Amino acid sequence: MTASVLAAGTLCAALPAHAAGTLAGTIINNSATATYDLPTGGQDSVTSNIVSLTVDELLDVSVASTDGGDVATSPAATNQVLTFRVTNAGNGNESFVLTARDNVGGDDFNPSATSIVIDSNGNGVYDPGIDTVYVAGANNPLLAPDASVLIFVLSSIPAGATDGQRGRVDLVAVAATGSGVPGTTFAGQGQGGGDAVVGATGADAEDDGFYAVSAASVAFVKSAVVVDPFGGATRVPGSIITYRLVASVSGSGSLANLRIADAIPAGSSFRAGTITLEGAPVSDAADADAGEYTGSGIAVRLGTVAAGAARTVTFQVAID
Amino acid sequence: MRLFLILLAFALPSAALAQNQVALTSEVFVERTVTDASGAARVTLEAPGVVTPGDHLVFVLSYRNNGSAPASDFVVSNPIPDSVVFDGTESPGAAYSVDGGRNWGALSALAVRAADGTSRPATLADVNSVQWRFAQAIPAGSGGQLKFRGIVK
Repeated sequence: MTASVLAAGTLCAALPAHAAGTLAGTIINNSATATYDLPTGGQDSVTSNIVSLTVDELLDVSVASTDGGDVATSPAATNQVLTFRVTNAGNGNESFVLTARDNVGGDDFNPSATSIVIDSNGNGVYDPGIDTVYVAGANNPLLAPDASVLIFVLSSIPAGATDGQRGRVDLVAVAATGSGVPGTTFAGQGQGGGDAVVGATGADAEDDGFYAVSAASVAFVKSAVVVDPFGGATRVPGSIITYRLVASVSGSGSLANLRIADAIPAGSSFRAGTITLEGAPVSDAADADAGEYTGSGIAVRLGTVAAGAARTVTFQVAID
Repeated sequence: MRLFLILLAFALPSAALAQNQVALTSEVFVERTVTDASGAARVTLEAPGVVTPGDHLVFVLSYRNNGSAPASDFVVSNPIPDSVVFDGTESPGAAYSVDGGRNWGALSALAVRAADGTSRPATLADVNSVQWRFAQAIPAGSGGQLKFRGIVK
């Protein structure tokens, strides 16, 4: 009793502001004061009764995919990672039951969700063997109001998935106390001893993540132009051959660390300073630029090349 | 010493109430929208034990002069509970405070000063105390009600 009256005047002022609302279990006290003049002179004041309300626990949750877009994958790949953020949008500490739904519509193939993993070290990246594998009911993530946790959904991609196809997996999070139509009440199950009441989200939220099969492939085309010492195109000693190598990436996605290497044909000699990449000269030395002459051939690093793009390398040799 | 004063304050109310010429009671109701059998939404007022963030509350203050003489310079003040955002009043003549009762006035006359020294016009949400100052004395045996609204933060 003493505590609640003190709260009316002093403790309430110290409560922190909260995005999810007043914390479950908080007691709201209200009282009014009236003052008036006494007929005998002087002033009297009267304080009303104190009305107390307990703030119930509101059960709310949100789930959002944090992948920037489709996650690139390939047919028959395993442990492919989708990432979601689960946030406690309620006003009390709450555990959430997680489920991955892999057999949903709106896609071209059904991935097979093999496990749900909690980002237990909080670094935002799936760490095999370090992050905790989720087991429903055994380690439901417990979140404070406004707190969130990253959840990884690992899936296998069917071998029959083809380039450009998309597969969808939904992550569902449900408040462990209960869910249902907003306003549904779980008597006495709220934090602080009050009721738990289902909020606007139904205490049940989900979001979808997509895998996209990206099967990029590269094709090399090599061509040669010969100029002989007489202005013709015959292959005689002294003729200059300009080789042109074109790497074309097709499919979808991109290829990383693409590299072109070509040997100098027997019976010919590399002409110094003739390597170009996309028309720009590349030095013969093995240095910071994209390529070099190795003594037996040329090598040019193209980096990451997106599907639909091509890179052209040229160099010259002289026929011995 | 402080504890002693608090305990003393507790021993007093029943005696103090008996001596007071004016009685003042405070009630709180929550507005709930219910859908009846025909599907129509209806707003009801319930006396809540418990509330959730976002609930709309109606505070009702009832006063009555139980004495034999008029009560003049009658002033009723109600600090807004900390977990409640003030949402206006239906009772005319209210004055507001955004600084815990140091300054009172119409909302349009009040300003909120920010930490960087700038100030902006006060809004309903800034009000942390509401007050009614009666120009006329409350005659013996008469009373009335004052209402204001709030939303659970």
